[in-house]
Amino acid sequence: MLWLMALATGLQAAPAPIANDFSDTEVLALLPAGFHDTPDTGNPDRLADRIQGHITRARTAGDPRHLGYAMALLEPWPDTAMTDRLRVLRATLNQSLHRFDQARADLDTVRSRSAGGQPYLQATLTLANMELVRGRYGAARDACNDLATRYPGLLAQHCLARVDARTGKAATAYQRLASALLQRPPEDPRLRAWVEGTLGDMAAQQGLVTAVTHWQTVLQLTPDDLYVRAQLADWQLAAGQPAAAVALTNGYDSVDPLAIRRVIALQAGGQPDAARSLTRRLRERFDEALWRGSDLHRRDYARFLLDIDNRPGDALNYAVANWRDQREAADTRLLLRAAQRAGDEESIRQVRQWLASVNQTDRRFDLPPSGAPLP
Amino acid sequence: MTRPLALLLALCCGLLATTAAAHKASDAFLYLDNRGATATLRVDVALRDIALLTSLDSNRDGQVTGAELRSARSAIIAAVTDTVRIEDVRGSSCTLRGASWGLSRHSDGAYAAGRWHIQCPQGESPGRLTYNLLFDRDPLHRGLIQVIHQDGEQLAVLSPDQRHLALTGARPSAIGVFASFVQQGVIHLLLGLDHLLFLLVLILPATFRQRPAREGGLRARLSGLVWVVTAFTVAHSITLALAALDIVRLPVAWVELVIAFSIAVAAINTVWPFLGKKTWKLAFGFGLVHGFGFASVLAELTSGLSGKTLALAGFNLGVELGQLAVLLVTFPLLYLLAGHRLYRRAAVPMVVLGVCGMSVFWMLERAGAL
Repeated sequence: MLWLMALATGLQAAPAPIANDFSDTEVLALLPAGFHDTPDTGNPDRLADRIQGHITRARTAGDPRHLGYAMALLEPWPDTAMTDRLRVLRATLNQSLHRFDQARADLDTVRSRSAGGQPYLQATLTLANMELVRGRYGAARDACNDLATRYPGLLAQHCLARVDARTGKAATAYQRLASALLQRPPEDPRLRAWVEGTLGDMAAQQGLVTAVTHWQTVLQLTPDDLYVRAQLADWQLAAGQPAAAVALTNGYDSVDPLAIRRVIALQAGGQPDAARSLTRRLRERFDEALWRGSDLHRRDYARFLLDIDNRPGDALNYAVANWRDQREAADTRLLLRAAQRAGDEESIRQVRQWLASVNQTDRRFDLPPSGAPLP
Repeated sequence: MTRPLALLLALCCGLLATTAAAHKASDAFLYLDNRGATATLRVDVALRDIALLTSLDSNRDGQVTGAELRSARSAIIAAVTDTVRIEDVRGSSCTLRGASWGLSRHSDGAYAAGRWHIQCPQGESPGRLTYNLLFDRDPLHRGLIQVIHQDGEQLAVLSPDQRHLALTGARPSAIGVFASFVQQGVIHLLLGLDHLLFLLVLILPATFRQRPAREGGLRARLSGLVWVVTAFTVAHSITLALAALDIVRLPVAWVELVIAFSIAVAAINTVWPFLGKKTWKLAFGFGLVHGFGFASVLAELTSGLSGKTLALAGFNLGVELGQLAVLLVTFPLLYLLAGHRLYRRAAVPMVVLGVCGMSVFWMLERAGAL
């Protein structure tokens, strides 16, 4: 592998010089909230609270260091003293690090040990979500059906609707889930936001402009939902509204997926200077990520290569690798676009074949003819 | 809605999608320069990371100021020198003597940076680095290290599973990379049975001994051979370059199928020259397709990396060298065998039949993969 590393050395510029001319009053770094809290890790429930806090912050701030902090809290905890709740949290961590087999093993353990009850519900929901994202709709449907039997209600309906929408029944799934939400609006704003986000995705899947309304509702309820923010930005870019996408991504330069969409929007909106400066920062981040060799940034890097660096061949390699792990609509669309730009009919055919085999349709997969403006 | 359920929702919604794409995990940067009389080490650690190990934010207000950084200097230096250890080639500990210290910057903000001279007993060279900074606070932390040698540089990643780095030994340079791709090219040609069989049936006609009265002797055979091999080489070099540099891209499955087909056609052509006796044209035409086949292997080796031109040149040279080696062994052997009366009557037809069968088998197998 060393010669592969050596190939990558061309990416590394000399480090910035060591400076001493900073002033005493200058604020050099901001530490995240709760930085100085001392963790109380003797009690499994309080430990779980801490770990969960880190996972939530990793998600809402787009800050993966918190995943490492959560792992550090979990690692010294003996396997024999693992509670079901800690196991579900460990599965969630492993899932977000793409260690899917380890995640599934923990979820299976929890589900086999505690039929019914909160940990069971939590494990089943996490499993359904993971299988859905990976494009394993049979396994996802089994988990959702299990939920529907034991815990009928909006959560189970939502779970099944997501699987239905990806397997040929987008229109009915959308209508059913929308009326379920209307009939019994949940008290918890997060559940409502989650369902609204799914409705937005299902609407976009059918090419319905109501997607925008759903996503805007989500961002009112939970402005830190980075995932929905990125989806809405993609919609705006495809609809030829770069100014709206620039406004939507303002203040999110530190979050790769949003920064990438911002560059695309700035370019399309006639602000090349701002686009160049943000591109430079993104490139530095990706160069470091390549050195690190993490495979977690593949989706973003593929998008960067395709839409900003105009290197469709390399973008396709990353999009293909990403698609092995994740098959959400955004992943599939990215792969199709990269393959089209790279002129790789074979990859397109393979993806289309898989889509046909699971009966999946999505208006976002209708690619404009080659040479049409981006994205 | 019960509280645990609310917590659960905080976990489930879109977690995978966002964390898989978040801004930056924790990295420290190490630069070890092993060129001069005294080796030097520079270590850059994010202020946010070093604040986990020291009381950098001394007033605990969540902000690190210039004054706080200055006053934490000795604590930061100790945190680094306690966890980064260097031994010389004989295993004795080297000491780090401070040279400069201050502030640096990487893609996610401000870093504390220090530079040290590495002093090993009896002036030995540094042999091994051990890195333990931060892993107990953040197992996803990594030490990204660049080692600069006299003859090149090396990048590596230090992790909880890989805390040591040998500083001597293999030092991949541009030449090393080139050489390893030459090796890959040779290996691929020798292991790629389909290219070998194609080459074999191409050179078969040139081994036939005919009456000197009708055509030239060995000299004519050799010149025919050179033409065929050159045509094949030129053709596959062209398409290998076109594909490797991303100028032309063909579906791999179809290329593989046509390669299998080309072997059967070339084999049949040796006993029944329906495409003419000038096999160099055949060699050129199908050589173009074989080039795309080599390119798909090369693409797997260099996926996502820069410096492709060097890799391409090395790989192509390796393929040619492998080809030459095969010819140097097979051609004289076949030429000698050709003297036997059974060569053209029995051996060649059997080989042709076997090669045809093999290629038909490949065609069926590869058509199934379409």
